[in-house]
Amino acid sequence: MDVKLSENKRVDVLSPVSLKPRRKGFNVMPMVFIGPHMLLFALFFLIPIFFGVYISFTNWDLINTPEFVGLQNYKEILFNKESTFYAQLHTGLGNTFKFVVFTVPACIIIPLMLAAALHVKPKGSKLFQAIFYLPVLFSISAVMIIWSMMFNVSFGPINHYFSSAPNWLGTQPYAWVALVVVTVWWGIGGNMIIYQAALNGVSKDYYEAASLDGAGRIQKFFHITLPSIKNQLLFTVVITTIAQFNIYGQALMLTKGGPSSSTTVLLMYIQQNAFGSGQSIAGIGSAMAVILGLCIMAVSIIQFFLLREKK
Amino acid sequence: MKKLNISTLISFVFLLCMTLIWIFPLAWAFLSSFKDEVDIQTFGFSMLPVHWVITNYQDLLFDNSSTPVAKWFMNSMIISVTQTVLVLVVVSMAAYGYTRLRFKGRDWLFSFLLASMMFPAVVNLIPLYKIIDTLGWVNTYWAAIVPGAAAVFNVFLVRQFMIGIPLELDESARIDGANDFQIYTKVTLPLIKPVLTVVALFTFTSSWNDFLWPSIVFNDIDRMPITPGLQLLQGMYVTDIGHAMSAALIAIVPTFILYLFTQRYFLQSMSLTSGVKG
Repeated sequence: MDVKLSENKRVDVLSPVSLKPRRKGFNVMPMVFIGPHMLLFALFFLIPIFFGVYISFTNWDLINTPEFVGLQNYKEILFNKESTFYAQLHTGLGNTFKFVVFTVPACIIIPLMLAAALHVKPKGSKLFQAIFYLPVLFSISAVMIIWSMMFNVSFGPINHYFSSAPNWLGTQPYAWVALVVVTVWWGIGGNMIIYQAALNGVSKDYYEAASLDGAGRIQKFFHITLPSIKNQLLFTVVITTIAQFNIYGQALMLTKGGPSSSTTVLLMYIQQNAFGSGQSIAGIGSAMAVILGLCIMAVSIIQFFLLREKK
Repeated sequence: MKKLNISTLISFVFLLCMTLIWIFPLAWAFLSSFKDEVDIQTFGFSMLPVHWVITNYQDLLFDNSSTPVAKWFMNSMIISVTQTVLVLVVVSMAAYGYTRLRFKGRDWLFSFLLASMMFPAVVNLIPLYKIIDTLGWVNTYWAAIVPGAAAVFNVFLVRQFMIGIPLELDESARIDGANDFQIYTKVTLPLIKPVLTVVALFTFTSSWNDFLWPSIVFNDIDRMPITPGLQLLQGMYVTDIGHAMSAALIAIVPTFILYLFTQRYFLQSMSLTSGVKG
């Protein structure tokens, strides 16, 4: 105890901060500075999360007091094969998974190729980079208006320039192709920048050593480049997967969920059930949201463990 | 030397092809926004307008009550600017609190905030609507402005940056008799301008482009921001490419202009955030 006291004293003498007389009692300063954010965080994030999980166990309709119904909503959407909500969950979640599986590889490989090409620094690479990033700045609804016209059967350029003319948005598998194309066009800029930074960080010594050993360009890419940027690859896989699980705008505005519900994603059903025309079935909607949320959380937990193992 | 030239050439050709793919939709959208509806129905696809008209823009901006694009644009501007200011104030103050003030449980509290980022926002959607409704904010700007300021990531970003600023600067100000507010406004804020610029740009663009949330809290057509507004507009101009493209282009102008002048920040900040997280 004595030692501690004397230590404190020494610090007091040396540190200029403590020259100021210390205020007694409860310090209000922290509340003043972090209070506003804390309040917003509690009201618009923390409470809604708990409330959201709770109402998935109720028969809430957004208006009346929610009545606790136990696991009924989950039973209904997960196991009751006669229920329309069962069909919605399975179609919606299935299509959401399909979207993730179709888009994530493209959203990794294409920006990686672009970053690799930009890394060589050919003429105009600054301009190229700026252009690939540009669509990230645009809203989903503006982008979908442009692309639904691009895919238009009667006056769209895509059907005009390619001789075979499928009804892109109205038949499968073309509707999926269209969704993947617009998603890649819209959203690869961020990953590209991350890969560019990662490639800049790879030491040139490795490449020189590999050249001396007679390694070719492709060998170098797979044996040096990829392992060196492994962390960034993993990071982008996770954030891209999480982002794509939240697919909504593309399916809503480009394919309108069609043809015949083959691209209706879960978020569309959640929105419909809770906020659509007719009586709100917020309880069921919440149960669906919780299931989608669990899928997303599973991805972030995997990321957490993978990253921790690295350290 | 020869090898280098080949790989440069291959890269250049590849990038050029990809750039054309990236530019084409925007170029065609731009040209199509000057097309006359009758021409489109008569001639089908064309790259250039047969007759150049600006009536599409005029209709949308000046005399169209079912799709009040000018009003939407102003709504979006008010919402995005206000949210940006709110976020800057709230976030910089919070970051100051988490780095410069000592209080019990500070780091525990911050870890809790960070951990909360793992929770998926989709679960919030329905209850958040109820909260906004209870506050009487449905169909008001507040519904689109305030909830976004609760985001933790911005606090994290600014805090990371603030940790790098030496405490000695605060301390010498304190010796001169400055209190926390004076240190925050006179010492800290000027020093964290770079990270605040990044936060401001990202907040503005994400606020401008937000789609799902505003489409839930706005059903009054005159109060709506432009991003959910465009979805309504799409339903009205299904085959009217001229009007549809004009509207889409009007909607992307602000973020496009912002990008032209501040590109550097956008491109830097991506690597900043990934470096921090990855």
